[in-house]
Amino acid sequence: MSSHETFLDPVLLARISDLPLLARTVVDGFMHGLHRSAKKGLSLDFAEHRQYQPGDDLRRIDWKAYARTDRFYVKEYEADTNAGVLFALDVSASMDYASGAVNKFAYARMLVAALAWLTQRQGDRVGLATFSDRLIEVIPPSTRHLQLLFHALGRAKPTGEGKLPLAIDRVADVATRPGIVVLVTDCYDEPAALGRSVDALRARGHDVLLFHLLDSAEEDFPFDAAAVFEDGESGLRLPLRPEDLKERYQTMWRGHRAALEKRFAAAGVDYIAVRTDAPLDRALYAYLDHRLSRSRVR
Amino acid sequence: MGLGFLVPAFLAGLAALAIPLLMHLRDRNEETPTRFPSLMFLVRLPIRTSDRRKVTDWPLLLLRALAIAVLVLAFSRPFFGRSAEATAQGRARNVVLLLDRSMSMGYDGTWAAAQDSARALIASLGTDDQVALVLFDEEAELAQPWTRDKATARALVDATKPVSRGTRFGAALRVGRSALVSAPAGAAEFVLVTDLQRSGLAGVAGLELPTGLPMRVAQVAAATRPNTSLRAVEARRVVAGSRVQLQMLARVVTRELAAPRTARLSLRIAGREVGLRTVTLQPNGELAVVFDAVPAPATAVDGEVTIDADRLAADDRFHFTLPADDGLTVLLVVPDDVTRDETLYLERALAIGRAPAVRVERRRTGTLDAATLERSALVILWDLAPPSGAAGATLNGWISGGGGLVIAAGQRLGGRRITALAGVAGVNGVADRHAGGGAMLGDVRAEHPLFSPFRSSAAALVAPRFYRYPRLEAAVGSDVLARFDDGAPALIERRVGEGRVILIATALDAREGDFPLQPAFLPLTRRLVLYGAGHESSPLWRTTGESWVPREVRREPVVAAPDGEIIRPAGAGSAAALILDQVGVYSAYERRVDGTPRARVAVNVPPTESDLVSADPRELLLGVGESADSTLRGVEAATTTEIESRQRAWRWLVLLAVLLLLAETVIAARGWRGRARRATVVQPEGSKG
Repeated sequence: MSSHETFLDPVLLARISDLPLLARTVVDGFMHGLHRSAKKGLSLDFAEHRQYQPGDDLRRIDWKAYARTDRFYVKEYEADTNAGVLFALDVSASMDYASGAVNKFAYARMLVAALAWLTQRQGDRVGLATFSDRLIEVIPPSTRHLQLLFHALGRAKPTGEGKLPLAIDRVADVATRPGIVVLVTDCYDEPAALGRSVDALRARGHDVLLFHLLDSAEEDFPFDAAAVFEDGESGLRLPLRPEDLKERYQTMWRGHRAALEKRFAAAGVDYIAVRTDAPLDRALYAYLDHRLSRSRVR
Repeated sequence: MGLGFLVPAFLAGLAALAIPLLMHLRDRNEETPTRFPSLMFLVRLPIRTSDRRKVTDWPLLLLRALAIAVLVLAFSRPFFGRSAEATAQGRARNVVLLLDRSMSMGYDGTWAAAQDSARALIASLGTDDQVALVLFDEEAELAQPWTRDKATARALVDATKPVSRGTRFGAALRVGRSALVSAPAGAAEFVLVTDLQRSGLAGVAGLELPTGLPMRVAQVAAATRPNTSLRAVEARRVVAGSRVQLQMLARVVTRELAAPRTARLSLRIAGREVGLRTVTLQPNGELAVVFDAVPAPATAVDGEVTIDADRLAADDRFHFTLPADDGLTVLLVVPDDVTRDETLYLERALAIGRAPAVRVERRRTGTLDAATLERSALVILWDLAPPSGAAGATLNGWISGGGGLVIAAGQRLGGRRITALAGVAGVNGVADRHAGGGAMLGDVRAEHPLFSPFRSSAAALVAPRFYRYPRLEAAVGSDVLARFDDGAPALIERRVGEGRVILIATALDAREGDFPLQPAFLPLTRRLVLYGAGHESSPLWRTTGESWVPREVRREPVVAAPDGEIIRPAGAGSAAALILDQVGVYSAYERRVDGTPRARVAVNVPPTESDLVSADPRELLLGVGESADSTLRGVEAATTTEIESRQRAWRWLVLLAVLLLLAETVIAARGWRGRARRATVVQPEGSKG
């Protein structure tokens, strides 16, 4: 394992609790001059008003808007070539699973942190939405929200039952300006329903990138003795003899994957399946590839 | 003796055996479910669930159930009986066999079962073992002292039959305990063969048995024993025109009958059937059966009521005696100058009432002879001193033999100075209380039988006023029963031989007071006559175990028992007591059994013996204490080692339970069972590409 690969090994990265450090480590290890020069020219084109959030520069508060509405609004200006990237992270209880050393949720958090760091380095604005069966926390994309994003990631806990299509619809509601939406989820829902939701995102002008997080046990179903299986989200218990079901399960699982790929391809969504025992660079490559391809398209 | 438990309540823990079974049947792995992100695919698969209701791992289930059972047994602290220990150690057994022979054991089949139990116990004794046989009913006797001769003991059991007496376990245990004093060396134990009637438990509390004495109860009665018994009879004399009729009533008690039944009751008086009734008896309850009235017999007679026999025949016949309705004869001896009006109140008062009726014969002084006295119960001297000379001696002799004398001292006696009036008191003038509104009775011995009618209304005695009365001075040995409010004796009693003399300081007329006009006059004078005559209302029957004194026989009493046995009680009069231990009628004669008996008494079994409800064997020992009596050589106190050895089983059981649980752990963690719990996830190769 080369030195930069060491910094992409999820098992080692999972030991780093400081998310900014982790993100910087990953990106620095990964980036070897791959990135384009960030377009840092400051555009004075007014983009939008948004509600003030802690951490915003006080100098950017629109005092006239305050006088009119009695609320703090911040005027946002944007370089015309930079994009807003909203990372939508699934924090439902099904993400809290690990058959090996790395938990799906921990992996997803590392992935989002690294991608956000990378995005920020490229001059794009970063935001975060966490969801399960509803939106839990939303940080709108901004060039100054990276630290907020890290804090929100640190606070997030996997809990509750996931309703992915509904959550994606809510994400679409809050992401009012067209940008890039990066969905990180384990996709436990019907492909057709998911497809309809991402269609709505796409219809609003968003580029959508979906990371499907997988645990090896979900794919391989390595159980071989009678046991009671408990649903990570609903708590439903089912006594099973896995040796009788293994093949049929794997067949269903592969069908689900294929249906997802097909449906997302039809929707124009980049679908990337990532196993938690795989290094992070694959996801980073996929992201950069997507980002470059979208830039060319524009 | 077999296996026992120190804490048998813990055996309820055996119900926990259901736990592993339910766990196997319900959800075998529910305690360690395998968590999976989502079962959205698995729930779509057809799953055979029948295995969930089937025990699939019998070895593990049996192992767990066995471990629980062994643990429960260990906590129940099993121990082995002392006799088994004694036998194991080669010590001889000393068995006190307590055999119940009370009337209830005569219930159909019970006595045969009791004899079988006793014989089986005797047969189980070893060559060196000894047995002592205690037969008991209300009382107990050591019928067979310690013996190794099993044939003798068995023969005694064969010869014993139930008797017509009640049950007292306390008596049996006391005699059994005393038998231990002479017990040979060895391990003693009590074996009680009985129907364990609850009514026999009275008197057990407070009894102390030697510490560690094993006691086994062979309860030979059936769980339910339906029974019908005659509980009591009542007799009432009713006047119908010029005739006196006898009305009899019998009380029938039924217990635990399977269904109501019809029964015939028969009344026999003096050997002749005079009444017959057919009644319907309820399964449980008491029924009063009234027979048609019959002419009252003039003399004392005995009779019986019978009911159709059931499985306990001994309480289906009830004996009674009816006293003669001849009443009491009272000789009222008056002075020559007395007028009819003076004694009017007394004679009218005594003429009222029956049971007994009081007949007053008016006599003049000097007419008392032995023959007249012999047919009289009481002599009342109306303001007269007792006669002297031969007549006085005759009177004194009659009193000493049980007669009664009442002296009503009025103006005539008060006017004289008498040193010793009938040896009861002296007379020292007359007290005149006209000035103060009259005297009252002030100090009354309310507990005396003479005043029994006034125990609930003592105020009635202080209402009469006495204006003039003789001042009495009680002689030594006399008993002052009441005084006037000035302290002067008003009523004095003196016992003379078997009889009594009562002196009252008023003439019982209305000339010197208003006593005859007050409510207290009638009951007090009647009571004065009955008490003075020594009259006691005799019960219609007595129960076995009671003692009886034939007072009517004053010299050399001879008693014929119901079975014909002739009994000569030691002593005479009140000392001639005998124990009534047979059911039937006892007859008492003077000197020899001939002619009309002077007294009769009917005897029945105690009514409690007909209540056949059985007690729990543990109730028997409620309240029984333990004592470490060194004189009881038959019970050798168990040594610490012996006690420990008898209870050692629990340690082995705990050890066995631990071993079983260890085995369960090993078996459950190995092979396919272990894989089921670990649910190992196989890492795919090349996943870190």
